[in-house]
Amino acid sequence: MKSLRFVAGRAVQGVIVMAGVSLIVFFALFLTGDPAAVMMPPDANRAEIEAFRHAMGYDDPILVQYLRFVGGVASGDFGRSLRFQRPAFDLLFERLPATALLAVTALLWSSLLGFVLGTLAAVRKNGAIDFAIRVISLLGQAVPVFWLGLLLIIVFSLKLRWLPSGGIGTPAQLVMPSLALGAYYFSAITRLVRASLIEVLGENYIRTARAKGTSEWRIVVHHAMRNALIPVITVQGMYFASLLGGALITEIIFAWPGIGRLAVDSIQTKDFPVVQAVVLFAAFVFVVTNFLVDVAHVFLNPRVRL
Amino acid sequence: MMTRLLAARENADAVLAMALLACVAALAVLVPLLWPPDPLRGVLAATFRPPMAVVEGGLHPLGTDQLGRDLLARLGLGTAISLGIVVLASLISVVLGTSLGMIAGYFGGWVDAVVMRAVDIQLAIPFILLILLVVAVVGPSISNLVLVLGVTGWAIFARVARARTLEIRELEYVEACRAIGVSDAGIIFRHVLPNIFGPQTVLLTLDLPRLVILEASVGFLGLGVQPPTPTLGNLIGEGRAFILLANWLVLYPGLTIGALVVGCNLFGDWLVRRADAKAA
Repeated sequence: MKSLRFVAGRAVQGVIVMAGVSLIVFFALFLTGDPAAVMMPPDANRAEIEAFRHAMGYDDPILVQYLRFVGGVASGDFGRSLRFQRPAFDLLFERLPATALLAVTALLWSSLLGFVLGTLAAVRKNGAIDFAIRVISLLGQAVPVFWLGLLLIIVFSLKLRWLPSGGIGTPAQLVMPSLALGAYYFSAITRLVRASLIEVLGENYIRTARAKGTSEWRIVVHHAMRNALIPVITVQGMYFASLLGGALITEIIFAWPGIGRLAVDSIQTKDFPVVQAVVLFAAFVFVVTNFLVDVAHVFLNPRVRL
Repeated sequence: MMTRLLAARENADAVLAMALLACVAALAVLVPLLWPPDPLRGVLAATFRPPMAVVEGGLHPLGTDQLGRDLLARLGLGTAISLGIVVLASLISVVLGTSLGMIAGYFGGWVDAVVMRAVDIQLAIPFILLILLVVAVVGPSISNLVLVLGVTGWAIFARVARARTLEIRELEYVEACRAIGVSDAGIIFRHVLPNIFGPQTVLLTLDLPRLVILEASVGFLGLGVQPPTPTLGNLIGEGRAFILLANWLVLYPGLTIGALVVGCNLFGDWLVRRADAKAA
């Protein structure tokens, strides 16, 4: 019953967050005071801007505009792309599978490898393996996605000619983008699993298990891992958001036709309804992911069961 | 013996961090001041010269770019501008976030609820998207970038400041202050702030890499500070078109970002461990 109330509370919070995001996304266009002037080409004359302002409804009271915007979003209408003259949501949805494929591949390899290496580093704490893993994970977090991507292209596409430098369709084209996108995440997971596992391995109940003669392997897998995973799961939601941000850059470098590319193209052409749709969508994914993580947390960790 | 070895390694981390940060700082300060070639004007007869090339008696240690400009000069100026943007932005984030976090934690109730929901909202929007959107609307000047990066980065500082303030608020001496009639503002500034100053500084060190990469990403996309002014991201973004011809244009700015980020991370980790050791 209490868990249920907790879940309901989190859901309400999620709705509040989305309302706040819609406010920011809507008012971002009014930062200069005049969205019509921002969105029209610089050589447009006053009459054209006026006509555009009226067509977009920017001459209505701002509250009316905001309510219209929110009402539209709530009923699935994210406005129309100025560039394509099509609903922004349709454009976004067409690009969604490509981004999802990229993000999930990156997420899979990075969490699996990060998990294995983090565990290895924790078990062999302060040894040579730990040191090597530490160096790899530090470097993984140090280089920006776009630089790593370009480096991969230079080495594997231009020098070795092993992999195509861009595009979508074959598995080979997926290798470098997912590698570049997952690098940061991989480092973060490795470091987190290591730190968390080391902390848990120092607990009293682990010492008890050791005293009883349980094998080290069994201690790590059966006793320590469950508790060590809790903080790892907690941060997944946070990292997922940065993964979307990273996808934006990755898609540009590797000519990957996903949402990130759509967003950047739309920003460059001042096609703001599409940008608004992408921001709202990204925030929605973030809120839903975090909600699911919170719920999972309640069921995985008896200590937070209220 | 073991502990001394460990301590030595810990300090080696700090030394390495300092060395990396000192290199980047030297690049950002000394090169714009002392290195003669003009970072904005080049010699069109000397484009795409590889590192260590000599043109008309002038050495180009890192080579030249598509307009024959000296890469070292551009990298120095670009690092200085990027660092300036990032440091100013982080100061805005820290001041904004710490103030709001302290207020939320100290007063609790609806103030706390409002600030914490605002944190959730801020964190729900991918930073890069929001920054690109705002910069596209208000225009990509340096001051706009500083403002946008600074204002969007407050949330983490607020969250941590709030958590610490909640603890400090319950301490006996704070209660004593209240009992003798010290004002809320007095308690926040004289007693809460000094106690969270250290942790916030550590957090700042750990948050800087995020800002460095964010600023560079915006520059890379060509939506940040406009050319010919170099920034770390701009340099890589411009060099990207020529990676077949001149990969040094991409290589060295990337290494600079890497040095900056590794330096900050190592230094921040070291500060955290030192604080932990002190607490234990």
